[in-house]
Amino acid sequence: MAKARAIVKRLKAVKNIRKITRTMELIATARFKKAMDRATEAAAYTKKIAELVADLSQVAVQGFTHPLLQPHPTDKNAILLVLTSNRGLCGGFNSGVLRLVQRRIIEARDSGQDLQLEVSGKRGLNFMRFQQRTVSQSYTKFEDKPLFEEVEELANRYAKLYVTGKLDRLDVAYVRFQSISRQSAVVETLLPVGQLNAATREQTSAQSATAAATAATAAGGTGPTTEYEFLPSAREILEEIVPASFKARLFKCFLDSAVSEQIARMVAMKGATENAGSMIGDLSRTYNRARQSQITSELSEIIGGAAALE
Amino acid sequence: MAGNKQLRLVLVTPEKTLRDEPVAEMRFPLYDGQMGVLPGRAPLVGRLGAGELYFTELSGTHRSYFIDGGFVQIKGEAVTILTNRAIPVESLNRQQAEEQLKQALARPAHNDLEIDARARDEQRARQMVALAGRSHTGA
Repeated sequence: MAKARAIVKRLKAVKNIRKITRTMELIATARFKKAMDRATEAAAYTKKIAELVADLSQVAVQGFTHPLLQPHPTDKNAILLVLTSNRGLCGGFNSGVLRLVQRRIIEARDSGQDLQLEVSGKRGLNFMRFQQRTVSQSYTKFEDKPLFEEVEELANRYAKLYVTGKLDRLDVAYVRFQSISRQSAVVETLLPVGQLNAATREQTSAQSATAAATAATAAGGTGPTTEYEFLPSAREILEEIVPASFKARLFKCFLDSAVSEQIARMVAMKGATENAGSMIGDLSRTYNRARQSQITSELSEIIGGAAALE
Repeated sequence: MAGNKQLRLVLVTPEKTLRDEPVAEMRFPLYDGQMGVLPGRAPLVGRLGAGELYFTELSGTHRSYFIDGGFVQIKGEAVTILTNRAIPVESLNRQQAEEQLKQALARPAHNDLEIDARARDEQRARQMVALAGRSHTGA
């Protein structure tokens, strides 16, 4: 009797959990679609910036340098920006990033770098607290809709630190979105920007293949023939584009992270729902068996009792 | 290309493409002054300042956005405006803009970089106040 009751209780609990995980899956799907839309809309900007850079570099601005492009002689002062989620239950999303972060911290310690940690997301903050590492800046405001204004604030601060020589290297650890079925945790160096062309090319390649293809054909069709008038001059425009492209790259990291988080949660919750389903099957089978054996034993008791009376 | 007398405005911010539509004419602030564009403009790449992006739709209605720096690229019939922020003038908040102007004016600036930054912020805030004020009077 007791066993069947216990199984019924457990069955109820698992059914409730399945309801919750299924709902979470649906929510994650809806949020993923929204985040994805935002990311694709934002891609237009980076694409255009890349196009402008390509146009400008055709004018061959020889010997062009910008403080953000130049690597510093040392990389003593480094910042590592870690993008994690505020909520859990999203599979390996956070642990993937944090594993890389762990490695980077050790690497910095071995090479004598002064690495400052800046963490976005409660999950990452909890992890750092557990590891007893000091976090110089923490953000929890970036949910699944990072605003450019907020990211720009960060970017401006980094750019200022870099130009004044207080920062030699900026890395961002986040989950890059490659396709719906493929996201990978990466540590990317954003400052120094390095080769502007390479940076933008990398960006365009990260975008979906179809977009890149259309861009390529568009650029190939009209690119070399256009002769632009530059106001004020190609060089000064390039000077302005460097920080803009840096900001766009940082913003893209945040967007990618938001999209990947929702995908990770979607997948995790889908797995959980399926798992709960099979568990319910198993449990109801054992329950039926337990009930049946209980009935059988009761029957045999009655029959045994009746036989004893005769 | 120049014979094809059309003009298309593409207004892009890092967050989204706000507009992509044919227009009759437009006007926007470059780094050193206003610039007007009619169909058939020669290709251009320019740096934008803060101020009003004003354009006339094909239906004849005028629209204004406040844009905050960035770049413009004119290529063929398309005028692409890349800007960090674009706010429809109707939704500008005058009080907020005045507050920003006050803050910019009150901020101490000690070196060239800071003075430049302050001048930019001040300019931006002044433009915003001017635009917001105009939209409130309904002119």
